[in-house]
Amino acid sequence: MTTNPSEKTAGQTTWTPVPLLEDIKEHGRVWDDLATQYGVTNPDPPWKTSLDGMCDALGTGNCSPAMALEKKWLDGSIGRGAVEGAVALPLLERRWEEDELSETLYQDVPFPERQLLALTHSLIKRGLVSEQDLAKRIKEVHERLNAA
Amino acid sequence: MSHDHDHDHGDGLHKPAAMVEEVSDFEALEIAVRELAIEKGLFTAEDHRRFTEFAEHIGPTPAARMVAKAWLDPEYKKLCFSDSIKASLAVGVDWLNPTGFGTPSDYTDLRVLEDTPTMHHVVVCTLCSCYPRPILGFQPEWYRTPNYRRRLVRWPRQVLAEFGLSLPPDVEIRVEDSNQKCRFIVMPVRPAGTEGWTEDQLTEIVTRDCLIGVALPKPGVTSNIKLPVHKAVKPPHHH
Repeated sequence: MTTNPSEKTAGQTTWTPVPLLEDIKEHGRVWDDLATQYGVTNPDPPWKTSLDGMCDALGTGNCSPAMALEKKWLDGSIGRGAVEGAVALPLLERRWEEDELSETLYQDVPFPERQLLALTHSLIKRGLVSEQDLAKRIKEVHERLNAA
Repeated sequence: MSHDHDHDHGDGLHKPAAMVEEVSDFEALEIAVRELAIEKGLFTAEDHRRFTEFAEHIGPTPAARMVAKAWLDPEYKKLCFSDSIKASLAVGVDWLNPTGFGTPSDYTDLRVLEDTPTMHHVVVCTLCSCYPRPILGFQPEWYRTPNYRRRLVRWPRQVLAEFGLSLPPDVEIRVEDSNQKCRFIVMPVRPAGTEGWTEDQLTEIVTRDCLIGVALPKPGVTSNIKLPVHKAVKPPHHH
């Protein structure tokens, strides 16, 4: 399986689909469907706050020192390396990639499933998580949760 | 993660709420990504637990209560503008330590924007989706979209009308852009028909949308608008 990064052409980003995430996008059941089927009134899936926690933990949140570094990078006062060394996935980059992915590859997926796919895509793109490891772990998680 | 459910207390008054009886691919994906990220040292399990607990307990009620208190107490209202950090403490929010464990993820200056009969405020984050989370909870989906973020600053009156808020031409609209240092909430004008109401009653009509500025409080209205989310016309390229 390939985990190609995005390709930039003429100032525009073309996102390369990740087969594993495409499969989840196509076949995964979103919360709206599950909640309707099971009569659950919660507007958000139970994993939503954990996803929020993950985003915060990755970037240590908005307006953190890491974000301040990103702003300095944007205004040209420091180099990119200073930001990359501070956090694994800089917050602004994550949010901007989420913006782009939400309007391209994952445009037909509802929120927050779309946010989860975009975050995962960003992690795979950077090699922080491999598609192979992720596929294996998803299988294990399914087996574990359905073992009771 | 636990599934959606409630506990039966054995008194016959609390029926167990419905549960989702299957593990979705998205649920498995969230767990798998989290486990791998922790194993690879991208963050610690303890940090994740604390941030998740923070996410689970925040919501719009403290901001709504702040506005309701200010409507009833002129001195408290002054405090909201002169020292919003101190005013936040009165509704249970500590902006100096919002997560409660020393990570100032949202530490910024909170500013309360006072509407008048001729001035209306509305909040946006044009850069990403900065939001006063400790006092207002998580952003609605539309607030995160490039569509809202781009268009509000260009056509505020028209965008507000899309939310069902049509303001007279003589009402000036001021758009505040959240940034690294400041987060904003709107204090609307107390609506007619609420004379004699208690703080709790007033709190109920100060919805999340009112606090962002895309709605005005109205007796009988306690829910937010469900807005269809549209793509931006131009792709959101930031780089």
